[in-house]
Amino acid sequence: MAFRPKRALAVFWKDFLDLRKNVGLLVSMMVLPAVMVLVPIGVVWTYVRAPDHADLRSVALFYDPTLPLGASAARFLIDKTLTDWFGMFLVMPVFVPILIASQSVAGEKERRTLEPLLASPVTAAELVTGKSLAALVPSVAITWTAFVLFCVGVDIVAWPLVKMPLMPNALWTFGVFVIAPLFAFFGNGVAVLISARVSEARMAQQLSALVVLPLVGMVGGQVAGVLKAGFGYYLLQGAVVLVLDALLLWASIRLLDRERLVSRWG
Amino acid sequence: MSGIHVQELGKRFGDRVAVEALSFHVRPGEVFGLLGPNGAGKTTTVRMLTGLLQPTEGEATVWGHRVDRDGELLRKVVGLLTEQPGLYDRLTARENLRFFMKLHELDEAAAWPRARHYLERFGLGGREHEPVGGFSKGMRQKLAIVRTLVHDPKVIFLDEPTSGLDPESARTVRDAVAELASEGRTIVLCSHNLAEVERLCERVAVVKRRLLAMGPVRELRHAGQALEVRVEGEAERFRGALAQLPFAPNVLAEGPKLRVMLADDAQAPDVVACLVGAGARVHSAVPTQRPLEEVYLELLREGRG
Repeated sequence: MAFRPKRALAVFWKDFLDLRKNVGLLVSMMVLPAVMVLVPIGVVWTYVRAPDHADLRSVALFYDPTLPLGASAARFLIDKTLTDWFGMFLVMPVFVPILIASQSVAGEKERRTLEPLLASPVTAAELVTGKSLAALVPSVAITWTAFVLFCVGVDIVAWPLVKMPLMPNALWTFGVFVIAPLFAFFGNGVAVLISARVSEARMAQQLSALVVLPLVGMVGGQVAGVLKAGFGYYLLQGAVVLVLDALLLWASIRLLDRERLVSRWG
Repeated sequence: MSGIHVQELGKRFGDRVAVEALSFHVRPGEVFGLLGPNGAGKTTTVRMLTGLLQPTEGEATVWGHRVDRDGELLRKVVGLLTEQPGLYDRLTARENLRFFMKLHELDEAAAWPRARHYLERFGLGGREHEPVGGFSKGMRQKLAIVRTLVHDPKVIFLDEPTSGLDPESARTVRDAVAELASEGRTIVLCSHNLAEVERLCERVAVVKRRLLAMGPVRELRHAGQALEVRVEGEAERFRGALAQLPFAPNVLAEGPKLRVMLADDAQAPDVVACLVGAGARVHSAVPTQRPLEEVYLELLREGRG
């Protein structure tokens, strides 16, 4: 069966339209980006507000005992916060598509719209593509918008101390435009797979959301000083997720088999 | 090859047999009824014929497309109205229809006039910009029917099309079904509403996992003809005498009335003679056709045996 992009785009169009009219979901999608942007800005502001506080140096030395005596502990901690926060920021492109894709796939079952949809000429690959696009496009757009706001916010609050723009830097730019879409694809793939197996969107969301726990755990490791984040560290994460993405894509198309879906849920 | 041709079709889900050895054909322009109790395999049969499920035995073609290998082409020529309307509540009626036009890769400018014609026909004209979530059950059902027709299907499967509709709307739907058939489309109607099936369908198949009976409604009813006899006094006391007849007919007795099921017209004089011989004063004996419902229920009872 030939893949017809027009039919995949039709699924995308419908899901995107449905998302735009789902106020509850839109609000819940905005909460996480707001936290992801405001929390690090607040942390940077705290360091800028009292850059000479004696405790800052103690904290900085905990992370880097070789920190030169004359170096600004506040500046060091700001740089470390920005590097570490990228790990947390990646939770957003994973979590937002989970919210959308769970609604879109398991929601079709809940609303009993799956059978008429599967009785149309759309193929499983077109369905997965359309639904994935409908989850990925808003997620990546939200991530990039949040990144812009994050850069502007950090630069404004850090300016009194550093007198130069800190953001966007190379790590964040590469991470947000290359690694974040890979993570979004991962979140979407997990949500599609789980949604195909469970009957309710809420359950699909709850189960899918568990995949953010390793990410949060790694950030915890960074804060505890166990893991040292940097360009290579995030590049490795991206490579692992790329492999997982390929596996998820293959499994999603296999699992969204028309017969299996109809006999289980139709 | 137009119409529907089904040959020894079967479907198993693991060890469970949902449908077995089903054979029938439906001509273009025919309205064909598929009757059976819940769990009889009607929905499974329709799902196989619309390419949603793969048969495990036998073969079938719908408008020339093999159901086991031409899924995509098949789904372009069939329209399926499912038991649940399955509409997107946040989308307007027009957006719901547009989505299915896009899935069928139709040019909206060309397809919309047909959709609007059916919207008007079903009393939904002027409501196309309203979200479906605010529609009544009947309006949703009618919109689902319009969605079924939006790509101008050659074969239409309707599962309980008048479910939830008021009598006037149900009549509109029935008229539309007859009109669609007159345009040469093949229509398969699954329903529990036997009066509706009797009114719309030329032929029916009664299924309960396998085919129990099939034929024109008139013939099925004729095959189940009865003799209604009015006697003096309680009719119940003559049941025993009738049971002695060589063809041992099924008998229902109610007050002075006896309803004797016959396999053949020629059995009627024997019944009357038997009653007279047993001392009955016969006031009238009228051959009648049984309602489809009675034939249907008897077929199911036999099927159970």
